[in-house]
Amino acid sequence: MTTSTLDITGDVCPMTFVKVRLGLHKIPPSGKLNVRLKEEALKNVISSLKTEGHRVTNVSREEGIFLLEVTKGG
Amino acid sequence: MSEAAFKELKKGGMMRQSEAGLFSVRLHVVGGRLATPQLRAIQEAADRFGRGEIHLTTRQGVEIPHVPQDALAALKEFLATSGVGVGVCGPTVRTVTACQGCRVCPSGVIDSPELAEAVDRELYGNPVPHKFKVGISGCVNNCMKAEENDVGIKGWIEPRWETPACTFCGVCQAVCPTKAIATSEDGRALIIDPTLCIGCGDCITSCPTGSMREEIRGYRIFAGGKFGRRPSLGKRILGVLRTKEEAMAAILAVLDFFRIHGKPGERFGDTLQRTGFPALETFIKVGVGRP
Ligand code: SF4
Ligand code: SF4
Ligand code: SF4
Repeated sequence: MTTSTLDITGDVCPMTFVKVRLGLHKIPPSGKLNVRLKEEALKNVISSLKTEGHRVTNVSREEGIFLLEVTKGG
Repeated sequence: MSEAAFKELKKGGMMRQSEAGLFSVRLHVVGGRLATPQLRAIQEAADRFGRGEIHLTTRQGVEIPHVPQDALAALKEFLATSGVGVGVCGPTVRTVTACQGCRVCPSGVIDSPELAEAVDRELYGNPVPHKFKVGISGCVNNCMKAEENDVGIKGWIEPRWETPACTFCGVCQAVCPTKAIATSEDGRALIIDPTLCIGCGDCITSCPTGSMREEIRGYRIFAGGKFGRRPSLGKRILGVLRTKEEAMAAILAVLDFFRIHGKPGERFGDTLQRTGFPALETFIKVGVGRP
């Protein structure tokens, strides 16, 4: 299965997390979603993901943009 | 009425108004919290003894203005039946201010009202060389402006980095608002600069692997702040304290230091300008064995 990538570099809080949540809604449990985001959105997106039981399973970086691999919880 | 008699009234929270014969009565409020029966009593007192007006002060205080001098005693008695005391003025430990803290605010690290009550019980109205203000913020968002107080407290999270799971993803460094986290020269460790860290815990909340952990969730003390005519901000003293009891002991030690070194009419911040902050820290450490 290909992992889809969600780009939220143009969004601000709280749309950042809303979009991630919608993105995760479309995939099955334990599925993966890549999220491209700016530094400013990191804290809120990651902490909300953790609170909702998802995991950030990989982090990479390209020119100031972070790429998170999110694994959907339960 | 003699000046001495006015002074005596002022000490007990009765403030002479510009309009002769009238007083604004300062009430005893702790951490900005009043129970509804107290509020009802205050409302009724303002209607009966004042002009149906209540003033909310900048430091979470409540005053009933426009009370005639001959009604002061009756007002005091009336309020006492509902558990509302009158305030203090002069060279004493004043109203302890506090935010709602962790029991109400999701950002809260400490129980601010609980500590405020403890400080108030122990110290409210105690004599000191000059007025002395204590303010308590439940976290680094600092709604109660800890640094504007003679002693300010902030809820504080001290992070600790753990090697095994860290992937050096850089998230903690990116989210740190003060850039307190550096990578060691060999690139195999993260180093947190305690002088830059503001105890927000953001690195812990954001770390995907759980490698940033809470070392201490506790109390940070700031000393020597004041506002008024010549404002200056308080400075952090001591390490992060773990318990309410430790915080209390440190506050008591600060007051002892002020009583020993402060001159009458000198704000604590000015005392510290003379003695230096290290003298205060040494005093507290020796006296109560605080870290
Ligand atoms: S200082 Fe922190 S805990 Fe207190 S009210 Fe503000 S955000 Fe909440
Ligand atoms: S966020 Fe966590 S895993 Fe990433 S570098 Fe910091 S401590 Fe390591
Ligand atoms: S607690 Fe806050 S200030 Fe301290 S290192 Fe972590 S992110 Fe930076």
